[in-house]
Amino acid sequence: MALNRKIAYIDLSTGKIEIKPIPINVRKKFLGGRGLDAYLLYNHTKKGCDPLGPENTIMVSGGVLTATLASATARTHVMAKSPLGGLLGSANMGGFFAPELAWAGFHHLVIKGKAEKPVYLWIHNGKIEIRDARHLWGKTTTETQWAIREELGDEDIKSLVIGPAGENLVRFANVMTGIKNSGGRTGMGAVMGSKNLKAIAARGTMDIKIAHPKEALEYNKHFIEQITSAKVNQTQGTLGTPFIWGATNSWGGVRCRNFQYNQELYCDDIEPEAIDEVCAETMGPYHMAGCFGCQVHCRAKYKIPTGPYAGAYDEGPEYTSQGAFCGEPDCRSIETLLTGNHLVDQWGMDNLETGSIISWAMELYELGILTDKETDGLELRFSNDEALLEMVKRICFREGWLGNVLAEGGVIASEKIGKNSFDYLIQVKGVSNLHSDERATPALALNVATASRGSDHLRSRPAIDLYHLPEGVLRKIYSNPVPYEGLLSSEHTEYVGKPWQVFWQENCYMAVDCLGICKYHTVFLGATLPNFEDWPKVLYYNTGLEFTPRELWDVAERCNMIERLFNLREGLKREDLKKGDMLNHRYFDEPTRRGAPDVVGRVIDREKFKKMIDEFYEYKGLDKDGIPKPETLKRLGLESEPSHLV
Amino acid sequence: MGNEKEGLSTAEVLRKTRTYGQVRCHNPSCMGRLQPERGANKVKCPVCGSEFRVAWVKDGFPRIRGPVWEVNQRLAEEALAKKMKEEKKDGPK
Repeated sequence: MALNRKIAYIDLSTGKIEIKPIPINVRKKFLGGRGLDAYLLYNHTKKGCDPLGPENTIMVSGGVLTATLASATARTHVMAKSPLGGLLGSANMGGFFAPELAWAGFHHLVIKGKAEKPVYLWIHNGKIEIRDARHLWGKTTTETQWAIREELGDEDIKSLVIGPAGENLVRFANVMTGIKNSGGRTGMGAVMGSKNLKAIAARGTMDIKIAHPKEALEYNKHFIEQITSAKVNQTQGTLGTPFIWGATNSWGGVRCRNFQYNQELYCDDIEPEAIDEVCAETMGPYHMAGCFGCQVHCRAKYKIPTGPYAGAYDEGPEYTSQGAFCGEPDCRSIETLLTGNHLVDQWGMDNLETGSIISWAMELYELGILTDKETDGLELRFSNDEALLEMVKRICFREGWLGNVLAEGGVIASEKIGKNSFDYLIQVKGVSNLHSDERATPALALNVATASRGSDHLRSRPAIDLYHLPEGVLRKIYSNPVPYEGLLSSEHTEYVGKPWQVFWQENCYMAVDCLGICKYHTVFLGATLPNFEDWPKVLYYNTGLEFTPRELWDVAERCNMIERLFNLREGLKREDLKKGDMLNHRYFDEPTRRGAPDVVGRVIDREKFKKMIDEFYEYKGLDKDGIPKPETLKRLGLESEPSHLV
Repeated sequence: MGNEKEGLSTAEVLRKTRTYGQVRCHNPSCMGRLQPERGANKVKCPVCGSEFRVAWVKDGFPRIRGPVWEVNQRLAEEALAKKMKEEKKDGPK
């Protein structure tokens, strides 16, 4: 059954491998996936360790429901101390790797040390081997996966790999699987690279026994119907995630020219329908694919139609690539979008961070803070498509002074560039913001400021706040499973009620990350998608684990608190601009200049923002400095951490 | 208990609130429900005057593709100018 999947401890320095069961009391406290990874990180990483040193520990996992009959349990999670922000590093991706790892007998890998030479792990039916990977070093992410399949003689092997960016220790390098499934954000690829770990390959045929198969199938049918009939998922199944960027740009909620504007004008050529046309022309009418066990099918397939990479196959682009290669640098070419997406996929680099950091450098260049001397003559201006793609390459291969500096991430780069360059860097906890602009949406601003892995939309964003839902609908969602009687507002430009929404979403997203389910199956983009009341049924039918909705909430709250404890141990301070729950001054000082009539002229009110943070901390059981109160730790059963249960 | 037959969950209850054939105006202070004519490629909000280009996910399922740039940009510029004027008079909002 799912609960008998093991945890493996792998020391790359010594070659020692230990395989252990996951005790049921640990499952009940942390479930699996990201939540259990957070516990393992806190217990197996020493305070202040070098993120790119052998003492950092990297966790790889699937959720407790991975590879069961439940829908969309494809998610693979990777966690370590981040080389980008120096705090929590965490990345989550779809595809097929985690289910294969589960069939090979494992739910969690804990990898430490550093191999003397490049290696990869080969995991198959309960066994783990450390194999030579010198011949794989230098290969792209796709080349690596196919080379491993050929070497081991099995086309069904699924691998988690790094590309050249991870090998070159670019601090925002991805871990990748498949063509485009990206464990992006926070530089987990660089951590693998620092360990000389090129890949983790898995293949398994070990059955997962379902606790109540008839009920699981019956309920899953109903569950899938609920999910696929939602408008948001029907749109995703037709246009993929680009519709999110398109809709957000429509009212003025995206970043453009770093942070100077909040809307990209006249960008019809890179809107979702335009992308869909290219996909249909190059791949035919049925060009949408899905991850393991998912019926939404939000992943488009395409070939680049023109330019130096014409004919190259890739998948996506996701909304994050539209932000990275269109909105932020203010480029409007579909060729640039599809090419940029392809390069970061093949080289294993975070599209969000790449686009953000280059757009920041473009603003610095236009301000004269960077000059031709630093760019080696490259005219790094906004809307210069060639310069944008050239910088992607220079960063990945650390070419030239600026390429090498930007590969270090924004905070270190700002220290090397000097002057007042940091003032223009749109980041939280060392991680560049998403391509969205939150000056008109206080709830979303609170989310990016307080997200545990640095600025992020997938940790606590109440995206449905943008839908102007009636208060009654909001109350129905946000008063469950924990009663909430405070204010709620349908207005997304308001401040009231938002801290509770962010707190609720933080627990909601943690719960699905522990289960191993995709966020498009929960209250992220759709208000009518499953949440705390629905998952206990899925969990029980598939694994036999009995949880009430409230107990599941408690697990999520506990796991979020472990992440907080890790960040505090590594130096998080409430108002620290580089390691705190704080936004760049431009959020408070520079009004938005584009968008819908009620969006222009907006800033975040500094005092109201502070009050939102205070209220958010209260819900989490933190004091005014953001440190957990002793009674909170006791309530969550975390008063003895690190407890070394596993 | 997860295994007990219970009433409908919040998600299941809210399913009946889904609306089809309509889109919401993208202006936050408006957010009126707009119902484009079947197959139309534009829709205008009768309340705030914003105009949008419409695409069809499938028959009967419209979505806003983006603004009619020149119209909504003009509305934005007017709104910004008004806000800046008010701010000068009353201080920052």
